[in-house]
Amino acid sequence: MIHKILPPKQISRMLLCLMSLVCYHTALIAQNHDPADSPASGSTLRVTHILGFEGISNNATGDLAIQGDALRFQKSEGSSAQIAIGSIQDVILGEENKQVGGLKMTLVRSATPYGGGRVIGLFSHKKYDTLTLEYLDPNGGFHGAIFQLNKGRGQVLRSELEAVRAHVAAKHSGDQE
Amino acid sequence: MKSNRKASLTAAILMLQAAVQSPVLAGTKRSVADQWSMQVGKVEPGRVNIEPAFRVAIYENLLDELAKTKQFKQVLRSGDRNATGRPDLLILKTTVEEYAPGSETRRAVTTVSGATKLKVRTQLCTREGQIVLERVLSGNVRFFGGNLRATHNLARKVANAIKQSTVPEITPSVREQ
Repeated sequence: MIHKILPPKQISRMLLCLMSLVCYHTALIAQNHDPADSPASGSTLRVTHILGFEGISNNATGDLAIQGDALRFQKSEGSSAQIAIGSIQDVILGEENKQVGGLKMTLVRSATPYGGGRVIGLFSHKKYDTLTLEYLDPNGGFHGAIFQLNKGRGQVLRSELEAVRAHVAAKHSGDQE
Repeated sequence: MKSNRKASLTAAILMLQAAVQSPVLAGTKRSVADQWSMQVGKVEPGRVNIEPAFRVAIYENLLDELAKTKQFKQVLRSGDRNATGRPDLLILKTTVEEYAPGSETRRAVTTVSGATKLKVRTQLCTREGQIVLERVLSGNVRFFGGNLRATHNLARKVANAIKQSTVPEITPSVREQ
């Protein structure tokens, strides 16, 4: 049907334009620094809880802050949880490269013809810091929690934890240089 | 003739259903496992240079998945003081044997490369050190999802392997302790 309306050369031009538009848009998403992502105050960081922090659901977004002698995670919807700084056994930094755009982007990628989805995949990713906290609960049980932060913020939090005398091991293989 | 066959088929189905629901056949394995508590040990990196976030994610996912099976009286963390002096305790030891970090972006762009692969050796031991179950299991992410999803897949496999295995009955001497 479309072949009857437009010549094939024009169709390919249109597809090319569409693809470059999608690429441009995804690159913008990847580099977009949401104001909510930047720290609200000195020691409050916007993070995503991946797993392990007791009392908080996986993939919850919220603020992580040092309040007195506790590290507190405040979920965006209201509930919160905290651990004593003294219970922290180790703080480890890592780096993760993740796709952005979620399910919508996955659908767009798979629907784009002529392998265009792969080209979009090249642009639609973003680097994050991961912060792994190892801590003990009041019964002595070992816990591990993983948080995802904007790039560069992991080191800030680690330094802040070091400043309040949290136990941070010198160097790990997974740590960034 | 036809109605006779139908009736016998219905009777056979009813008998099979009754047998499956019977506590004698269905409940034996579960009731034995129900007598035990489980302590999940920290994940040992072995000779593999695995990121700490992966170690922690395997550990936390194991705790989640084992609790979901409802096979054990209690699922305890490594170092938990409630485990000391418990005679009905099984200890889960996990050692990483293989780890390929993979990349979400490479998976999106190439489809065939960038898989995250994990292989671990799990041992279920009694307090006395007797190995009740030993398995080598793997967890991968080949197409969709973040790298840490491999740890979730792995933990689910470990929990299923434990669920399907036959746990020994607690001996009277252990029960008396």
